[in-house]
Amino acid sequence: MSDTTTITNVLTVMFLLIGAFFMLAGTIGFVRFPDFYSRMHATGKCDTLGEGLMLVALIIYGGATFVSVKILFLIIFILLANPTSTHAIAKAAYDVGLEPWRKLDDEVVWLNAGNGDTDNTGNTSEGRTREDGGEVR
Amino acid sequence: MAGTELFGTIEMVDVFLAMAITIVIASFVSLYRGIEGPGIFNRIIAVNVIGTKTIVLLVLIGFIYERPDFFDIALLYAILNFIMTIAATRY
Repeated sequence: MSDTTTITNVLTVMFLLIGAFFMLAGTIGFVRFPDFYSRMHATGKCDTLGEGLMLVALIIYGGATFVSVKILFLIIFILLANPTSTHAIAKAAYDVGLEPWRKLDDEVVWLNAGNGDTDNTGNTSEGRTREDGGEVR
Repeated sequence: MAGTELFGTIEMVDVFLAMAITIVIASFVSLYRGIEGPGIFNRIIAVNVIGTKTIVLLVLIGFIYERPDFFDIALLYAILNFIMTIAATRY
């Protein structure tokens, strides 16, 4: 086992670990975020970056062969297609009428409590329902 | 390309296998949002996320078992995933 192989393997493992970290972070954000749009914010970027890094790691491992050219095409296609599909989903959701998530009313009241402005305590909180009746998805 | 060692007894195939298992676990965690998540758009984006994780999983499987056919399957899967998402949102 020569030195070049060792350097290649260490670089491969580094890129794979960074890519796996981004993928797991995107997945945790996808499960934990409160809103559809913020979930898309988590997945749309983290998945693209994680996949790109993992495939770059496999290119480094594979060397300059025909397989690496295929994986390079795959990376280019993912970098083009994944933001496009994310944008399409977000635009479809916005056209349907899904509203972005905001802070609940009692939290806003709590933020304005220092001003003595307690007018808008009327509709605090049934769960996550907003004042116009739109339900947070 | 086969059986190159990383450190000592750890081979590169084991690293690829660990990464594949990590991706499968992340896919199952995303599947929770696909089943449970309110509304149809969460389900669409869950399918999109699982599909994009599957592409890397296919490439990793191609490296583990040393079968270059899997890269063509991964390319086809990427194109199908993109077209499916665009069709689902256009509808």
